[in-house]
Amino acid sequence: MLHLSANNTLLEATLIELQQAVQENSPLVVDRIVSDFDHTSFHLVTPDNDNRQFIHLSIVTKAWPSLAQCGGVDESQLIQFINGKLTNQATEILPKNQTTQGYDMTVRVDLTKLDDESIHNLSLLKTYVMSFPFQLAFDEFQRLSQQFATLAPGEEESSLSQPHRGQSYRIQYRDDENIYVQPSNDRITVIFETIFKDETDKIFGKVFLQEFVDARKRNRSIQSAPQVLFSNVAPREIATTSMENSDSRFITFVLFPRHFNNTETQFKTISQILQFRNYFHYHIKCSKAFMHSRMRFRVNTFIKVLNRAKFDSEENEDGEKEPQQRRTFTGRKMVY
Amino acid sequence: MSQSLRPYLTAVRHSLEAALTLSNFSSQEVERHNRPEIEVPIQSAELLLQPMHISRNENEQVLIEPSVNSVRVNIMVKQADEIEQILVHKFTRFLEQRAEAFYILRRTPIKGFSISFLITNKHTESMKTGKLIDFIIEFMEEVDKEISEMKLFLNARARFVAEAYLGEFVY
Repeated sequence: MLHLSANNTLLEATLIELQQAVQENSPLVVDRIVSDFDHTSFHLVTPDNDNRQFIHLSIVTKAWPSLAQCGGVDESQLIQFINGKLTNQATEILPKNQTTQGYDMTVRVDLTKLDDESIHNLSLLKTYVMSFPFQLAFDEFQRLSQQFATLAPGEEESSLSQPHRGQSYRIQYRDDENIYVQPSNDRITVIFETIFKDETDKIFGKVFLQEFVDARKRNRSIQSAPQVLFSNVAPREIATTSMENSDSRFITFVLFPRHFNNTETQFKTISQILQFRNYFHYHIKCSKAFMHSRMRFRVNTFIKVLNRAKFDSEENEDGEKEPQQRRTFTGRKMVY
Repeated sequence: MSQSLRPYLTAVRHSLEAALTLSNFSSQEVERHNRPEIEVPIQSAELLLQPMHISRNENEQVLIEPSVNSVRVNIMVKQADEIEQILVHKFTRFLEQRAEAFYILRRTPIKGFSISFLITNKHTESMKTGKLIDFIIEFMEEVDKEISEMKLFLNARARFVAEAYLGEFVY
C-alpha cells in the first residue's frame, strides 16, 4: 500500500452493495457514516422508507467554508463546479435548504440509474470538492499566460523580473493547516502548511521532506516532476495571508504547464497533490511502527545473550530437589 | 569493528572485570537491610570504590561506579545528530520499559548518560560474571550498530517514498 487512492473505497463498496440490492429487487435501507481523511465524512441515508431507490449522500468537510470563499461570495459557484463533475442522470445536488442537517452538501442518488462509472465518480466526491480552487487556478493561469503573451516586447522585459501573479486561493483543510494555490503566468505554486505536534514527528518529517526536495535532483527519471521546496518560514507568496506559527512547516510544489495541460493530467495532478499530507504522515507513522517492531526483535536477542550468563537452570533445580527426595535405607523419606 | 572501538571496549572489559568483585554486605545504617550501597541516599565513603571513567570521545563514554556490593555501569551512546538523539532516546526507553527481563538494567539512567546498569552481588551469585561482562560489551557494540542501521533505514525509506510520490507526476 504505497500509494493512497484518491477515491473512498468504503463509499464505493457501499454504493455497489446498494446498487446490487436494487437490481435484485430487494432494496436496502441504509444509514451509514463513512469517514475520510482531513475531518471529512460522508453520510449515506435512505430518506424515504417506501421509496428506497433514492438515497441521500451528504458530505461534510473542514475545508468547505474556505472552498466556498474561493469562488466568490457564496458557494453557488462551488456547487455548480461539483455539479459539472458529477454530471449524469443518477445524481442531483439538492438545494441548500434540503441539505442534511450538519452537512455541507447533499446529493440525491437514484440507485436504478447508477452505473459503474458514476459510482466511481461519486466515490471521488471529496477530490472533486477539493479540486475547485485548483480549477480556478488553472483558468487563472490560462488568462495570465495569454495576457503575458500579448504584451509588447518592451513591456515583456520589465515584467519578466516580476512574474504575473494571480489571486491566491486558500484551502483550510484542517484546524491550523492550509493549502495555498497561487497561479501565475508560467506556473502554479501549491504551498502546504503542515504542523507536527510530536517532537519525533518533527524530526522524522524533516528527514522525509529533505528527501522530497532532493529526490528530483538525484533521480533523472523524475526530473519532470514538480519542484519541491521546504522551509520553516512562510514563503513570500503567502507571507501576508498566513498566520505565524513556529511549528508550521511549508512545503511548496511548483507545477509547470506540463502538469496540467489537459484534463486527464489535471485530474491526476490534483488528486496526487491532495494526497500529499496523508501520504507523507502515513509513511512517518509507518517508519515509527517498523522501528518499534525492530526494537522488539532486538530486545529479544539481548535477552538471549543475557540468559547465557545464568547458571544452568537444571543444575539449580537438581541442587534444590535432591535433598527433598532423599530416602532412608528402609524407603522412608528423609525430612529435614 | 573500527580500530578505535576495540581498545575502548577492551578498556571497558578490563575495568568491569576489576570492578565485579562483589560480596554480600548488609547495611550499616539500617538493621536487617541489604541494599546496593552505590544507590543508597546517604553513602558511606568506606563502602565506595574509586569510580572509573572511560571515554572514547565526548559522545561515547562509560562510567563504572563500584561499591562493596554493587556496581553501576553508565553508558553514553553516540548521538551525532538530532535523528540519532531521538533514536537513542526511543531505544533506551524501550529497553527500560522491559527492565524486569534484563535483571541488571536500571529503570532510569543517571544524569548525563543514555542507559545505566546496576549489578549487585545477587546477580553475580546467580549469573556468571564473565558472561555478564560479555553481555555489556555486546550491548555496547550492538546499540551503535542498531542506531546507525535505523537511521539508514529511515533515510532509505524517506528517499523511496519521495521518489515514488514524485514519480506519479511523470506523465
